[in-house]
Amino acid sequence: MSTWLHRLNPSIKMLVTFVFIFALAFYFDPWTPLLMFGAVLVVQVLFSRIDWKRWLMLMLPFALGAVGYFWTTYVFGTAEDRLDTALSLSFRVFAFSSLSLLFVLTTSPMTFIMSLMQQLKLSPKLAYSLLVGYQFLPVLKEEFIQIRQVQQLRRPQHNQTTWSRLRSLPTVAIPLLAGAVRKAEKTAFAMEARGFTGSRERTYFHEVTWHRFDFYFAALLTLIFSLCLVVGAFL
Amino acid sequence: MPVSDVLAFSDVAFRYPDEPSPVLEDVSLKLHVGDKWLVKGPSGCGKSTLFYLLNGLYPDACDGELTGTRILFGKPYEQYRPGEISQVIATVFQDPDSQFCMPTVEEELAFTLENQSVPRGQMEEQITRTLEETGLTAFRHRVIQTLSGGEKQRVATACALIMKPKIVLLDEPLAHLDPMTAREYVQWFSALQQRHEWTVLVIDHQAELWRDFFDHVIELGEHVPISETKRTTPSSSKPVGSGLFKARVNVPGILNTAELQLESGTITVLAGPNGAGKSTLLKAVAGLIPSAEREVYTQSIGYVPQSPEFLFMTSSVRQEVALGGGIRTETYIDKLLLGAVAASNPFAVSQGQKRRTALAAMLNDARSVLLLDEPTAGQDAYALEELEDALFQVVTDGAALLVVTHDMNFASRIADALLLIRDGDMSGPFVPRSVFSNPALLEKYRLVASEGGSIDVNMAAPVESFY
Repeated sequence: MSTWLHRLNPSIKMLVTFVFIFALAFYFDPWTPLLMFGAVLVVQVLFSRIDWKRWLMLMLPFALGAVGYFWTTYVFGTAEDRLDTALSLSFRVFAFSSLSLLFVLTTSPMTFIMSLMQQLKLSPKLAYSLLVGYQFLPVLKEEFIQIRQVQQLRRPQHNQTTWSRLRSLPTVAIPLLAGAVRKAEKTAFAMEARGFTGSRERTYFHEVTWHRFDFYFAALLTLIFSLCLVVGAFL
Repeated sequence: MPVSDVLAFSDVAFRYPDEPSPVLEDVSLKLHVGDKWLVKGPSGCGKSTLFYLLNGLYPDACDGELTGTRILFGKPYEQYRPGEISQVIATVFQDPDSQFCMPTVEEELAFTLENQSVPRGQMEEQITRTLEETGLTAFRHRVIQTLSGGEKQRVATACALIMKPKIVLLDEPLAHLDPMTAREYVQWFSALQQRHEWTVLVIDHQAELWRDFFDHVIELGEHVPISETKRTTPSSSKPVGSGLFKARVNVPGILNTAELQLESGTITVLAGPNGAGKSTLLKAVAGLIPSAEREVYTQSIGYVPQSPEFLFMTSSVRQEVALGGGIRTETYIDKLLLGAVAASNPFAVSQGQKRRTALAAMLNDARSVLLLDEPTAGQDAYALEELEDALFQVVTDGAALLVVTHDMNFASRIADALLLIRDGDMSGPFVPRSVFSNPALLEKYRLVASEGGSIDVNMAAPVESFY
């Protein structure tokens, strides 16, 4: 077990993952995506440390989707080869989602945004908005809980049904949003007062770099993909 | 213009694009090296606007209309490139939470340097030096959200100082700090100021916490005469909801068992350092903390959070007051001076009006015990006076009030009894006067004696008979 996948350059990791998701879309046999799914899992087991419980939870909706594809195509299909088509469609869902999760679960959002700005030339204005927004999330969550609590104090409901909670959402959202807009304005002023102009001419304390490892990752996925293709073609 | 002037404003006026009259008029200022200015004036008089004009964010950030000349180091503001002025003028804003954009202290400091395109090789050294100078080295790798209010305020200041400014603007830096932390911040800051000879402008409603720091004062806006507040004695008829409110709460891990007794018709103030558990205590009594053990002897408890708009669910002040189905809506609107804004949207009125709307709503629901969290933070003298009036109205009606505040002058003016809290342990009630004359007790709870807020003799008298 190593943490190699976590240390890759996020932009390169994202691009490589996208390329292979795209490439996979051109192969329609059931075996290539299935093998790919397995191979990606093996890579992730070997080179990352992730919370597999979380992986399973995130995989669950995709798995349901895959079953849905299979069912629709197999049961309602009429063609001779509908089993192959059905399997191919559902295995694809698995392959796509495993590749996406490989990226999502091994990338820190902060480093990802930094890398987008440094490697892919995302505008600092947008990048720092995202970063600040990300910092806001826990605060907003706390405020959401607090607002719901104090509003319940004003309008006591003895049976807290899911429906009544849902119905109270708009009244919770208004103070939350009013506060968030004000906070965002303050933050924007504070950033500007500290010399942030949004110009690309800035230096970086955390330089996100890329190394030869990043090419190993591309090479590894190419190798796996070719192997899957060859084996898939024989089966 | 003599070169010794750091900054000069002459006849500056500023108008917001959607308002008919200017918020600032005829502002002329000359700042010299090492000047220390206090900026005073009621809320909405343009203090923050002045700061935005000084640090160059206005007029660009809001398309306002500016007349007059602004000169910084012999050069008009308009001739500076974007971002250049903020290398000379550092601003620290009121709410430390909304001025951070990175997770850790070190990264936050680096953000300032990145904006100035300081080469990466020099950042390490500058960050280390600033942290040493400000005594924050131990916090270098801490996550900002986990710091206390006082620590956040120092980090925010350090972030401004790292750019080696000539002028430092502080917008209510003490608003959220307990009195002792505020004093310590003032000492810390004035030592730094002396070493660097900054020109300093500070907006603050609690000028007494700065002692003799300032050598100049700017007064903005019309001076609103403050009427003498007199506490009316309760009418002879028995007030509603009279009696004693008792509560016992305990929040595992945060607050040890605290027993409260609040007499109806009285105001109890809860004070103590930042992070002592004051807000937790209020929330626990109000029943907002699910994990708390709670025994209360009435269900009619009202709670006004630090941001009163959290409570609002309707689109007018009147509806807000009437929401709970109370029948005395108009009475309370009148009593809490909300008549003029009764039809306005509660989100659009002033902070003081929001708080009074929340109070009126709670009272109209016939809640006889009211808990107020930090109603004084960031309120000017006039708003405080209105709040005091409102609170006296409320107790005259027979409600029992528990108020959390850091403002000891305010506390000494309103409190019938004082509860002190520290590290989750509450003690008291104390007679306010005895606390303010007891340095050891003040020290222990990080409070300072009230100054200037003369205690009304008529007010203090009933306390002694009470306990």
